[in-house]
Amino acid sequence: MELNPELRNAIMIFYLVLRALDTIEDDMSIDPKIKIPLLRSFHEKLLLKDWTFNGNADTEKDKIVLVKFNNILTEYSKLKPEYQDIIKDITEKMGNGMADYINNEDFNLNGVKTIADYDLYCYYVAGLVGFGLTKLGVASNFSDPYLLDHMELSKSMGLFLQKTNIIRDYKEDQLDGRSFWPEEIWSKYADKLSDFTKSENQEKGLYCITDLVLNSMSHIKDVLVYLTMVYDHSTFNFCAIPQVMAIATLAEVFQNKNVLNTNVKIRKGKACELILKSRTYEDVLKVFSDYLRIIHHKCPVSDPNYLSIGIMCGELEQFIEELNPNPAHLPKGVKPMETPNYLRALKKKESDVDMARVVKVEYWGSYIVMTFVGLSLISIMYTCCDILGFL
Amino acid sequence: MTTPLESVLLIGGSGFLGLHLIQQFWEESPRPKIHVFDIRPLPDNISKYFTFDPKKIITHVGDLTSEDDVKLAIKESTPTVIVHSASPIHGLGQEIYEKVNVRGTQNLIKCSKEMGIKALVYTSSAGVIFNGNDVHNADESWPIPEVPMDGYNETKAIAEEMVLKANSPSENFYTVALRPAGIFGPGDRQLVPGLRQVLERGQTKFQVGDNNNLFDWTYAGNVADSHVLAAKKILDPETVAHVGGEKFFITNDTPSYFWTLARTVWKADGHVDNYNIVLSRPIAIFVGYLSEFFSKLSGKEPGLTPFRVKIVCAYRYHNITKAKTILGYKPKVGLEQGIRYTLDWMDETKEAAK
Repeated sequence: MELNPELRNAIMIFYLVLRALDTIEDDMSIDPKIKIPLLRSFHEKLLLKDWTFNGNADTEKDKIVLVKFNNILTEYSKLKPEYQDIIKDITEKMGNGMADYINNEDFNLNGVKTIADYDLYCYYVAGLVGFGLTKLGVASNFSDPYLLDHMELSKSMGLFLQKTNIIRDYKEDQLDGRSFWPEEIWSKYADKLSDFTKSENQEKGLYCITDLVLNSMSHIKDVLVYLTMVYDHSTFNFCAIPQVMAIATLAEVFQNKNVLNTNVKIRKGKACELILKSRTYEDVLKVFSDYLRIIHHKCPVSDPNYLSIGIMCGELEQFIEELNPNPAHLPKGVKPMETPNYLRALKKKESDVDMARVVKVEYWGSYIVMTFVGLSLISIMYTCCDILGFL
Repeated sequence: MTTPLESVLLIGGSGFLGLHLIQQFWEESPRPKIHVFDIRPLPDNISKYFTFDPKKIITHVGDLTSEDDVKLAIKESTPTVIVHSASPIHGLGQEIYEKVNVRGTQNLIKCSKEMGIKALVYTSSAGVIFNGNDVHNADESWPIPEVPMDGYNETKAIAEEMVLKANSPSENFYTVALRPAGIFGPGDRQLVPGLRQVLERGQTKFQVGDNNNLFDWTYAGNVADSHVLAAKKILDPETVAHVGGEKFFITNDTPSYFWTLARTVWKADGHVDNYNIVLSRPIAIFVGYLSEFFSKLSGKEPGLTPFRVKIVCAYRYHNITKAKTILGYKPKVGLEQGIRYTLDWMDETKEAAK
């Protein structure tokens, strides 16, 4: 499903501007004396009619975004002024954040220290994007303005994704000489972060992953609340799909020793299945429940966080029951407790009714097609047997 | 103006929860005078877990169903609030449940009213809403089932109803009922000791059910804490209207999977299994019937009964939003810490017995 035309261009331009910013930041061949002021002033370029940048090394895969930045500017200037302001504001904050990190020698040498640093880093690289998207969603009337007063929910949307990717990308980042796992967590299990790549430290590495997974899971409640407040279907998909992928990835990296040695990814087929399974709010909750169960059952008793994982999964299961109570679980005549989150989820589910019908029809449609295909195959086989028998 | 909590009379104060209540009231500042009414005096040896001074606790030994005994204790202690947590342990038989839970509570209400007591806090049980069916995220609007789970819960429900009905602002008599779920902690004779027994018998590898069912376990210190909060809220004219005549579920607010908790206890005892033998619920129930049948023939206690299988496989977790918002309750001791305290206490008592 495509994004609603109202937001399609704004989100695309937002993405390209951030990609351009990232391409400047990533390129080690640019002198910091040029790079830092450029990052800090990048949002001002958006006001220009015609600006391009040719200073990237040829190895930068996305340098074209900057070489042809004038085209982006043309499209940017066509956006509604309120969308332009949102994009500009986030670009300014992110550019400054990136510049601060380049100047931060301790960060560059030693990586992320405390959990607070970890949250802050993820806020700059992902939380801010969440802020921008929320503002665009509310400005277009696709999302509840309540979200603007509770930006911590948007932040969690970004942090849940980013932290999950950081766990998954351990090996890749090690090879690149970078590290984002916070020392406050990994130092409980190793002296050096690179120790986990050695086979004798594998078990400790898995314990560390559990600890990190637990930290990521602390954002799930916010994510589920946020998603109750996105009413437009295409925007909901746009928000929900990455979150569903993240919980699937989290379940995949959890207790998976391959994370320490190779690059772990969820399979393409699984990803497609998840996209189809996340079109309504109830379906998204179902996917989260399923993966929470997987995480709960995967945890070995020997893990230091064994009970904590159990409690976290239990707490989230209870929360999902609050958001979307199963009518079969309630005694006769009892109504679910009408907490604010329950009422939000109810409103969202009501807006999903049409979509739920589409999904159901599709399900039966595919069921009928598959039955037909199956029957045809059987009849072909029969015919073949007949022919063979005849011969 | 809030009536200051000058003295408290703990009915059943020598019992498992009773000692935790003493401890929690002891830690209050300013510390109220603490009186205990129980059928037996305080135990001679009190675990080092408790820091209160037993000499400063005034004990009144008596029978809860005796009007004279109860009135004498009230007269001698002049309590600001009475906390009633006396209850026989499970498995003692219907007659004793009736006596303590129903007649004892009835007598206490009558004596309290006649003696001009203002507030009564009653320890009910989350079991009052349980009838064997799964309990998912239950709140206080859930009904008491027509057919109760067993005689114990039936008498607890009757007593709770009497207590709540006795709430009467016109008579300046206020009551509140707290419904803890799965209490454990130092002094516990059931949950954690039961699991340690399974470990001693070497039966930890067996898992009955799929371990998806959530349970509430509640640390005794937290339960006691909720009683102190309820006592204070019921004495405060600003909050009494929200507390008087009300019932509250009390848990650790961390519903957990049954076998995860069991394994955490065994792990704290240094035992971790690297594989499990899983018996699905229907098979376990079938085995339960068989074991019941054969134990009848051999005359031994059956290990696995269909009743036990159903208990172990049931969902039983509660929503404590009401206690959190109205009482300001927040569990202070987490499950892992609570299990540690309990095992340490068990080791201590084992040492002492040597």
